Amino acid sequence: MSRVTAVIPVKDGERYLAELLDALRREGVDELIVIDSGSSDRSLEIARAAGVEPLEIPPAEFGHGRTRNLGAERASGELIWFLTQDATPAPGALDAFRAALALDERIGVAYGPHLPRPETSPMIARELTEFFAGFAGPDGGPAIQRAGDPTFLSNVNACYRRACWEEVRFRDLPYSEDQAFGRDALSAGWLKAYVPDAAVLHAHDYGALEFMRRYFDEYRGLRETLGHVERFRPLEVLRWTGSQTTADLRWMAREGLPIAERARWAARSTVHHSGRRVFSALGSRAERVPKPLRRRLSLERRDDARTPSRPPRAPAALPAPRHVDASRAHEDYEAAARVLRDGPAALLDPVPGSAEREQLRIAMVVPPWQRGSGGHNILFQVMSRLERRGHVCSIWVSDLFGEMSDFWPGVLRRQINDWFAPFDGPVHYGFDDWHGADIVVATGWQTVHPTLLLEGCRARAYLVNDHEPEFFATSTESRLAADTYRYGMHCIAGSPWLRDLLTDIYGASADAFNYGVDHAIYRPLDVPRRRDTVVYYGRHSTPRRAVPIGLMALEELHRRRPDVRIVLFGDDVPPRTAFPYEHLGVLSQPQLATLFAEATVGLCLSLTNFSLMPKEMLACGLPCVELSGVSAESIFGDDGALELADLEPHALASGIERLLDDRELWERRARAGIEFAAAHSWDRATDEVELGLRHALAEREAALGVG
Amino acid sequence: MTTPTIEQQQQEIERLRARVAQLERELVDQAERSARVVAEAQEQLYWLERWHVDLNALMRKPGAEEFRAAVRAVRAVMRRLRRFGWRLKGYKRKLTGAS
Repeated sequence: MSRVTAVIPVKDGERYLAELLDALRREGVDELIVIDSGSSDRSLEIARAAGVEPLEIPPAEFGHGRTRNLGAERASGELIWFLTQDATPAPGALDAFRAALALDERIGVAYGPHLPRPETSPMIARELTEFFAGFAGPDGGPAIQRAGDPTFLSNVNACYRRACWEEVRFRDLPYSEDQAFGRDALSAGWLKAYVPDAAVLHAHDYGALEFMRRYFDEYRGLRETLGHVERFRPLEVLRWTGSQTTADLRWMAREGLPIAERARWAARSTVHHSGRRVFSALGSRAERVPKPLRRRLSLERRDDARTPSRPPRAPAALPAPRHVDASRAHEDYEAAARVLRDGPAALLDPVPGSAEREQLRIAMVVPPWQRGSGGHNILFQVMSRLERRGHVCSIWVSDLFGEMSDFWPGVLRRQINDWFAPFDGPVHYGFDDWHGADIVVATGWQTVHPTLLLEGCRARAYLVNDHEPEFFATSTESRLAADTYRYGMHCIAGSPWLRDLLTDIYGASADAFNYGVDHAIYRPLDVPRRRDTVVYYGRHSTPRRAVPIGLMALEELHRRRPDVRIVLFGDDVPPRTAFPYEHLGVLSQPQLATLFAEATVGLCLSLTNFSLMPKEMLACGLPCVELSGVSAESIFGDDGALELADLEPHALASGIERLLDDRELWERRARAGIEFAAAHSWDRATDEVELGLRHALAEREAALGVG
Repeated sequence: MTTPTIEQQQQEIERLRARVAQLERELVDQAERSARVVAEAQEQLYWLERWHVDLNALMRKPGAEEFRAAVRAVRAVMRRLRRFGWRLKGYKRKLTGAS
């Protein structure tokens, strides 16, 4: 067991010294060092009676840092316990220090709470109790503090590891040497610990004026060591005094003080707290107070005032490291890391015939959404209809970056109903309540890894709306997104083009489904069709929408035909453009239908999979321009409902112009669009998705030879 | 002990399959009921959740129980006063009717 030396600087400390030395013997301290700096009372005698030969120094040589360094130099223990002459250790304090220092060898110093003595004034007793309560660990046990944590340290009761003291040492300061040590030790990479069980009975019992003068000294010390200047605003002081006095009265009531006693202390409390703020402010500006006054304001009768000291020049040029506790950030892709390390969770054995069972338990894992999010509209339209068909459906939000952490589940559920499609089932944020499913459906690359970790599932499917690796530059995200297609989840792709891509590149098993159109909303409406209006889905928050190129195309169109009315929608923030336009922001579905019914040409680009928006335009009889050579061509052919153009501003502008100028072409495309959209409903899309889900279950059964 | 015939084994397999199917149906029923209960609770709690009000946490705060008790006491007094008022009105009607 480590040898412990207790070091106690003493001056006129007869009141508690005998009690303190007795307690230290009881605690099992191996060595006692008492340093007396000119006591005129019985302190020396008491020390000798307790078997300690005091080390006497002239009063002028005393310094809080210097004298403690002297004591530590004389100490033989590996642990050095500094106490003040009026602090009496509570039973078990030393054991608690030993245990705390054994927690980590980087803990250089540990300190314990100061408990009020029975005669301590209520203001101080409350302050001590509440102040130290704030340091304890979450379980009420020791709390380890690192660089960046509070630097508070008190030599009233602190136990130092010798190696730490030797490396850091106390600065030669007249006051607050412990605060400076706390800061220096943390900067040097040591840890410190607050140990609730290593308590001392300690209180400074002064009269009201003496208290104030002590605060003057304390804050002068803080100014000199830490450069702290206490703010002083009269109104704030009044408010603070009121709140502190109230807190004192409450505390006295809780402690059961009689009413008369409380009334007596109320007046004293008011004086104490207001005086404290005034004297603290004066103390932290001591260098500006005239010397004679400084002496009178100081309890120690010191008339000097130093400018704030600077920390000693560090030998190395490196900045002090800031300790960061181990904590998972969202960007850590914790789920991905777990899947890569341990693999996906085991699936339950399939039950024969489950693929054909009428009712399935379907859990859909979705990424966070925003109002107007097209991908989510697809997911919730399908989920809504699966639910109506009798399946037991639930939605689980996997929020990797905490984007929806402000919304509680009831609110998320209402958003789905208000913004997308009716859904009667439960909506969960995260997976704390996960309880298994027949089939769990991932719906975006960032949902795949959390989905793979879910237990209690019979099968997994992956509803793929886009080839998401293309959303990113070469990066962790692009690699992880590509990786998601290789976990053997049965894919249900949002177009035949996407299905073929998944099977060809990644070897995934995949079905396709075709996005539906809500024909109750999107249909030719009885709205006069304008001949001069181009509407553009300019959702610039979605990079795959190629908005910069779309805007360049519209700029070219405006240059060629300044009379054409240009309308942008789909994003709340209007983009800056080189041409004038009308901005409608994010529209509801009925509003979109009205817009599509009155417009002449629609423009909606997707660099990856063909999206839902052009289908809705077509359903309203609005011909639109899309990119050639991508997925749209695989659905419509090169001369179908869409006017296709290359990804080039002039070509896109020409495509729009063709539809504006050629009435016969416009009508042919409009007719083809209406016919095409008529064949696509959400019910049909749901049929296709449901088939895909059943395929996923059937694949599991086939793989294990069940059924 | 006699070895079961193939026919008996088939029957046993069929019986077990029927039992599995029944248990599956029960599981789905139970999941459906649970989902409904959770969804209904989410619907009912919408406004509390919208304003981030956790009633359990709120009632754990110091003074919350006392506040609730005070409100109940005030409501009890109000109820009695209201009843007393009704009675007075009743008497008044009787008196007016008698006169």
